Amino acid sequence: MALIELRDINKTYDNGQPLHILGILDNYDTGTYHLAGKLIKDLSENQAAEYRNRMIGFIFQSFNLIGFKTAVENVELPLFYQGVPRRKRHELAMEYLEKLGLTQWATHFPNEMSGGQRQRVAIARALITKPEIILADEPTGALDSKTSVEVMQLLKQLNKEEGITIIVVTHESGVANETNKIIHIKDGIIGQIEENTSHSAWDGTMMK
Amino acid sequence: MRDLLNEIWNSVRNNKLRTALTGFAVSWGIFLLICLLGAGNGIINAFQGSSDRFVTNSMDIMGGLTSLPANGYKEGRRIVLNKGDIDIIEGKEFEDRIDKVAPVTSEISDKMALGIKTLSTSMRSVTPQYLEIEKIQMDKGRFINPLDIEQRRKVVVLSTKHARELDRDLVGKWVSMQGISFRVIGIYHSDESDWRTSAYIPYSTMKGIFKPGEEIDDIYITFGGVSNLEENLELEGTISSRLKAHHEAHPDDPNAIWIWNRYTQNSEISTGQKLISIGMWILGILTLISGIVGVSNIMLISVKERTHEFGIRKAIGAKPGRILSLIIAESVSITAFFGYVGMGLGMLVCEIMDKTLGSRSMNLGFDTIKMMDNPTVGLDVAMEATLLLIVAGTLAGLIPAWKAAKVKPIEALRAE
Repeated sequence: MALIELRDINKTYDNGQPLHILGILDNYDTGTYHLAGKLIKDLSENQAAEYRNRMIGFIFQSFNLIGFKTAVENVELPLFYQGVPRRKRHELAMEYLEKLGLTQWATHFPNEMSGGQRQRVAIARALITKPEIILADEPTGALDSKTSVEVMQLLKQLNKEEGITIIVVTHESGVANETNKIIHIKDGIIGQIEENTSHSAWDGTMMK
Repeated sequence: MRDLLNEIWNSVRNNKLRTALTGFAVSWGIFLLICLLGAGNGIINAFQGSSDRFVTNSMDIMGGLTSLPANGYKEGRRIVLNKGDIDIIEGKEFEDRIDKVAPVTSEISDKMALGIKTLSTSMRSVTPQYLEIEKIQMDKGRFINPLDIEQRRKVVVLSTKHARELDRDLVGKWVSMQGISFRVIGIYHSDESDWRTSAYIPYSTMKGIFKPGEEIDDIYITFGGVSNLEENLELEGTISSRLKAHHEAHPDDPNAIWIWNRYTQNSEISTGQKLISIGMWILGILTLISGIVGVSNIMLISVKERTHEFGIRKAIGAKPGRILSLIIAESVSITAFFGYVGMGLGMLVCEIMDKTLGSRSMNLGFDTIKMMDNPTVGLDVAMEATLLLIVAGTLAGLIPAWKAAKVKPIEALRAE
């Protein structure tokens, strides 16, 4: 039994047993946890959907944008499921795209954009519901090193300016180094927990 | 609503092949069903039309050739009906069963002339009762009346076909047949498929001029007071045996007297119609089932294909109901659209059948009938069939849709 308080934690994870972080609402094996003060246990499908929609923003390694929808439509989608009127959610989506510097890409389809642009669309989609927490599963895994740095800068900025908790799962030490706290997980067991506010953890010794 | 339509439009646009296949399955099913029912209706209507042309409680009695020796006569003797037969039929025994008796005498084939125009026709001499027994519709003028019979007038009733070929305004004019002038008193309705395009003259006129003597070619009768098939067959049997006795034929001779009983023929036709109708519906339902299987099959594949997309939708907060309703709405709109396309095409083909086959006739020897008459399906039946397919298609799509809606986002996202 482990109680993990999901407040301002960043995680790293070694190539061991996968931690089903995406299954956080419906697929955890043992134990209980609280999310924003709510006990997450035995949720109904609809409740789980509601929590996913309002409290958690997901960022994936493979972006997971819907291919036949434009950037702005993809960003709008979470609000569509909240029942926000079309005009309102379009405005909001444009606002978020602008924040991420994607205004002129709004009407483009994902396959017309670069990986970095797609990931920024995905981040806009995660942000638009103003979630409590953002879960990022290898957010830079499909990006080149330059874009990876950009995306990590963006996440850091969001954490600093909007105060959103961001959990990043990664096995790249460079990415881990950008975070404030690193939790090493090996074979599903939490090992070392490092405070990393100085962002100096990556001095070569961490690499195995 | 607009969002939903947008979603549907998007997914249709992005899955053109799948949409086309679903659409084809649905359209084809409905199209075949409508064509099938249309053709069935056409055949049924054609039968109906041919039996509507005469009163069904009537018989046509003719003399035949004996096939058994009797009373010292050899077989092979021709039986010729005469006044005596009329007397028997009009006599006491059949009084309460037989309504109308109409003797008809022979046909003489010859040319009919009006001015310089001539055409071949046949002449039939009849009595006024013939009009009702044979359900003749008068277009213009009148039919032969009792005065014509009494005074042996030289008058003639011609068909629409005659009028078209000779002169549109024929009533009152004189035509010549066999060198004798007849005044046209009426035009009766005939269409292409009608085998009755004879020129009708009064029975007595024929007897007086062309065919003196007792002989009668056909006796048409109508009967009332016969309520079922058994009574009808009994009447037929009794008439037959009385006439055979009158002509000294063997009582068991099947060929001495011919009776064309329209009542029994009609009941056979209605049984036939029912069978055709049932057959068509069975085939139709089987066709529909194949359409439904097609729809559900494609729904199954479509849902499988889109599992990843549904996973994304669920990860960002779509409730199962939203996924379900998206799939259902999509399936319903695709099925409905293509269903109505198929329905429209089917009805178009029915119209084409009506225009082409509808005017063609088939010679059955004793009768000429249209191959198809009005081979169309009512809009209500077409709509019902289309709705049935839509509902069934939706139900078939429901199971995979339900599965898709239930799948956990983490599993759905793993599917590629």
